Amino acid sequence: MARKVAVVAGGHSKFGKRYDATMRELSAEAYKPIYDEGITQDKIDATVLSYAASQFTGQGAGSALIADYIGLYDKPHLRVESACTTGTASLRAAWGMVAAGLYDVMLVLGVEQMNRVSSATATEYMSQAGDMRWEYPYGISFPAFYALMASRYMHEYDMPHDVLAKIAVKSHHYGAQNPKAHLPREVSFEEANNAIPICRPLNLYDCSLITDGAAAVVIAAEDRVNEFTDRPMWIKGIGAGASSMKIQDRESLTSIPGAKHAAKAAYEMAGVGPDDIDMAQVHDCFTIAELIAYEDLGFAEPGKGREIVENKENYHTGRIPVNCDGGLKSKGHPLGATGVSMTYEIMKQMRGEAENQSRQIEDVKLGLAHNVGQSGQFVNVFIFERGW
Amino acid sequence: MSEEKELYLGYTTDKAITPFFQDFLEALEQEKLMKSKCTKCGTEYLPPREYCQKDLSKCELEEHTEKEAKLYSYVIVDFAPETLSSKAPYVVAIGEFPSGLRLTAHITNLMSMPEVGMNLKLAFDKIDAKKITYKWLV
Repeated sequence: MARKVAVVAGGHSKFGKRYDATMRELSAEAYKPIYDEGITQDKIDATVLSYAASQFTGQGAGSALIADYIGLYDKPHLRVESACTTGTASLRAAWGMVAAGLYDVMLVLGVEQMNRVSSATATEYMSQAGDMRWEYPYGISFPAFYALMASRYMHEYDMPHDVLAKIAVKSHHYGAQNPKAHLPREVSFEEANNAIPICRPLNLYDCSLITDGAAAVVIAAEDRVNEFTDRPMWIKGIGAGASSMKIQDRESLTSIPGAKHAAKAAYEMAGVGPDDIDMAQVHDCFTIAELIAYEDLGFAEPGKGREIVENKENYHTGRIPVNCDGGLKSKGHPLGATGVSMTYEIMKQMRGEAENQSRQIEDVKLGLAHNVGQSGQFVNVFIFERGW
Repeated sequence: MSEEKELYLGYTTDKAITPFFQDFLEALEQEKLMKSKCTKCGTEYLPPREYCQKDLSKCELEEHTEKEAKLYSYVIVDFAPETLSSKAPYVVAIGEFPSGLRLTAHITNLMSMPEVGMNLKLAFDKIDAKKITYKWLV
């Protein structure tokens, strides 16, 4: 029988264009608050220290670099990579090791340093996560994959771009209240709907940011949790899924099959359903991805996700608050850090510690993280439960 | 396989050529689009695969003869990856043939906005001396 595992602490760097830092300093910023809470290096048995893409830094064996820099050079460590799900894949790997009894206490740290190359170069690197033989030679960038989903979705459900712009407005509304956010400013509906095109039908405000940042959490086995906190956040459900490599091979482009599978598995393991979830952090690498997530996670029927947007059910006082930290869109998307950042945000919300009460969700008992890699080839869904 | 020529698919120069892929490229140079078929279970693949996804048996190339398709989805790439930035904006389309097989390629002759469901016609292009491709025309 697997041991129960809880998230007991977390830390988060400032997200942004961090020309003042590299992955070393960003990692230190994420671990420092945890250290300050008393979880010093000697209390950590092993670590998963991950980033998605070594092209951005040229650094090989980066987990060794990070471990050394934050004083964990003599503890076992490894890197897990699965594109933009690297953060939750790292958490999943660590959970398995703790649940199985290999370790009692582990640090999971995700980091990405993306802005030392130009936006065009970053876009180039990310397009190389498409099929190098059949997709990359046609210049299908990361936003292009999601634009292919958006075109099809808008056609099948006769949906105007306005709906996507409203998602961007919401994301920036909350990002503006998050001091860790990369782009903490409000945008109007007109700005969001009429911004310059990036990959039509997606425009600038439909796209997440190229961000530097790090986030970290500590997990502990059930019999050790009390040493670290009286407010544990239990890992109650984990689901993972996958989808075909080439986007043209998907039966449908209005849903991500791996996400539906991951959600179903996570709900089953947790013994809960979508109606029980008090808040969600979803992978809004693009606004269309957030809309599709509502449906893949069961918050709305297929084609009806727009009703959540139109009725503002996704705001912090709504039926299903989503990304009330600004999401990937406004808080930013440092690839390897994103899934850990989602986990950190759910812990803060459960603890009632959002920096700004105008983004604090009331009485969160169950929180869900939905983390998607590339265009759905990797998906992790976590369900966390308040333990106090 | 004939004597190897230096050929690349599409707008980049991926050097991961195999004998199977070289045969595909040489047929493409003759304006033939090749799919592949599993020698054991008969499953068809477009673009072609050398090994069947289902039973990992060898597949053989054969000409895909459908020429007309419908636009399944599209993107107009305004901000391109660095390698293709001089070409932007360009339109990438997934076309679906009546058989259900699909192909992802650029539409190169659009004069107005694309529409899902519109008719596409398969065509071929020599981008330069070494780069060749299939493409869609409206």
